[in-house]
Amino acid sequence: MTTPLTVVVGSGGVGKTTLAAALAADEASNGHDTLVMTFDPSLRLKDALGVDADPEANEIKVELEAAGELWASLLDARRTFDSLIDRYAPNDAARQRILTNRFYDHLSGSLAGVLEYMASERLFEVASYGKYQRVILDTPPTRQALDFLGAPERIVGFLESGALRIALKPWFDVDGSLKATAKLGPLGRNVESFFDRMVGMELLRDMAEFFQAFAPLFDGFRERALEVQTLLRSEQTVFTLVSGPGQQRVADTLFFARRLTEAGHHLGPIIVNRVHPEVEDAPRAVTLDDGRGLLGWLGQRDHQGVDQLRELLGGSHPLVVVPLLPDEPTKVGALAKLGAMIRSSLQEH
Amino acid sequence: MVDVLRRLERLQLVVVTGKGGVGKSIISAAVGRLLATRGRTVLLFEVDPRENLHQLLDTQPSGGEIIKASPNLYLQHIDPRELIDDLVREKLKVKLLVNKVLSSPVHRHFTEGAPGLKETAVFGRALRMVEGHGPRELRRPDVVVLDAPATGHGVSWLAAPQLVSDVVRSGPIGHMAQLIAAFLGDPDRFGVVVVTTAEEMPVEESRELIGALRERFDRQPELVVANALYPPVGDDASKDPVSRLWHRRRAINVAQLEHLNASWAGPLVEIPMFPIDPGPALVGAVARQLASHLRSA
Repeated sequence: MTTPLTVVVGSGGVGKTTLAAALAADEASNGHDTLVMTFDPSLRLKDALGVDADPEANEIKVELEAAGELWASLLDARRTFDSLIDRYAPNDAARQRILTNRFYDHLSGSLAGVLEYMASERLFEVASYGKYQRVILDTPPTRQALDFLGAPERIVGFLESGALRIALKPWFDVDGSLKATAKLGPLGRNVESFFDRMVGMELLRDMAEFFQAFAPLFDGFRERALEVQTLLRSEQTVFTLVSGPGQQRVADTLFFARRLTEAGHHLGPIIVNRVHPEVEDAPRAVTLDDGRGLLGWLGQRDHQGVDQLRELLGGSHPLVVVPLLPDEPTKVGALAKLGAMIRSSLQEH
Repeated sequence: MVDVLRRLERLQLVVVTGKGGVGKSIISAAVGRLLATRGRTVLLFEVDPRENLHQLLDTQPSGGEIIKASPNLYLQHIDPRELIDDLVREKLKVKLLVNKVLSSPVHRHFTEGAPGLKETAVFGRALRMVEGHGPRELRRPDVVVLDAPATGHGVSWLAAPQLVSDVVRSGPIGHMAQLIAAFLGDPDRFGVVVVTTAEEMPVEESRELIGALRERFDRQPELVVANALYPPVGDDASKDPVSRLWHRRRAINVAQLEHLNASWAGPLVEIPMFPIDPGPALVGAVARQLASHLRSA
């Protein structure tokens, strides 16, 4: 049996994490054993989910009176990367070589897409367990919501690129001096000496060593990245796109929606979050100290945005409007209620 | 606050940073406009691949060019990869070799993957500009204001040059990184403006950022801007849902400002939520608000 996967995407600061938790709590309330994987929860949300209690544990059971179980996990790029190395390194010596490489330290934290890749890697892992009936993945706070999706391709591209091959050639002989590169001819030699001049021998040596140490892992890693890529495009995985309110977000939201579907992903609902309520007889001129007037103006602005988005989507995807709540829900019960509201709004479609 | 304005007016690089969605671009544009009206020649740097500052300043998109938005105020969109390619062109000179290097996968992946390189290149461009090596249309701005991307880790941008200079110890890149790290270490030339809203997550992130600035750089922000605040409740005693939402949202603002104040005793400017769509009018209103706060004692 395949586990339905939901990936919650959207720009930073729109409330992805809270909505992912709400959707998960609702699934559990409906009797499904559910896992929510999250990156960057607020302190109070962390408390509510209990994910801070044991940072070493991968998944933690959330206390919730529900027909199904709710589990939560907090993703950490470095820890996931380390465990990946553990898994694929052929022996302890190879493992040590990678973990102690100076380059690894920098690379594991900042290689473009690593955090995003690790998220989908973990998604793949839990999808194949069979322990959960639903899995909901929050995505990292990237500037560009779609960085997440390109990650497996980028990693595969990186591993397949000449960078690896050249690094493995190897450039350096046993005593650490740059090998003659006669085969590349004078042009190739010039290119190499250029890199050498620009960034120095030392860094190139570190990089070469890193990739050499990485080589035994290459097969498992590459294969896995391709599988993750397939999983993210399969019917099993549905994307939920979260957007902030207001007309100025409409273009962004449509852009993301188009890119997602063009890339072969299955886009489900679009959620416009934190929409200010509509106020009757909203005043036209608003002074700065008039909170009611301001909310009236915001309500009008947000609903114009929703109307515009609805019209431009033309029914291609269900649109859910989540109102701005007096308080951000942080208790599990309130999260489940929010999730139920989203579900019932979806059922109307 | 007068001191803050005086300090801002002396700096050569101001980095405006904060969590996504707090109005960083608006504040960057407003800081730029404020300094420009006070006689500084300002160049605004935008790094986000999806340009939006031009809309806030009512001018055409930069597309990499330096655009004059108003007297003393210029705008440029920066693609860090382009900067690094420029560096290759400058150092290599021979066209055949340049093409060979630029099309080499080693270069592409090194540029993409090398930690801190892109950020360092952006700071490097800012440094060159304020030192008078700009193009003909703007030879020497007095100050560069950088609308820094929301990365989730605020200080990673600022730490980048040091990281690069640690990793690359020799050659022109290593040398450049050292110069930039020294530039960022000079409190008379470089400063940070932190933008937040008075809500839980942005305030939490700002507190972390302020703490990291203190610990890792022994620095503090020139200014913290609390943006988009709901107005004080005053004597509104209505109990309907609209008033309840306003009162509650304002209460969250007040509580979070207090929380922020607990770890930040320095200059803080509160910007109200304006009923104005993002654009030049909003930038103007925010700039006036900033100015009136900063001019007061």
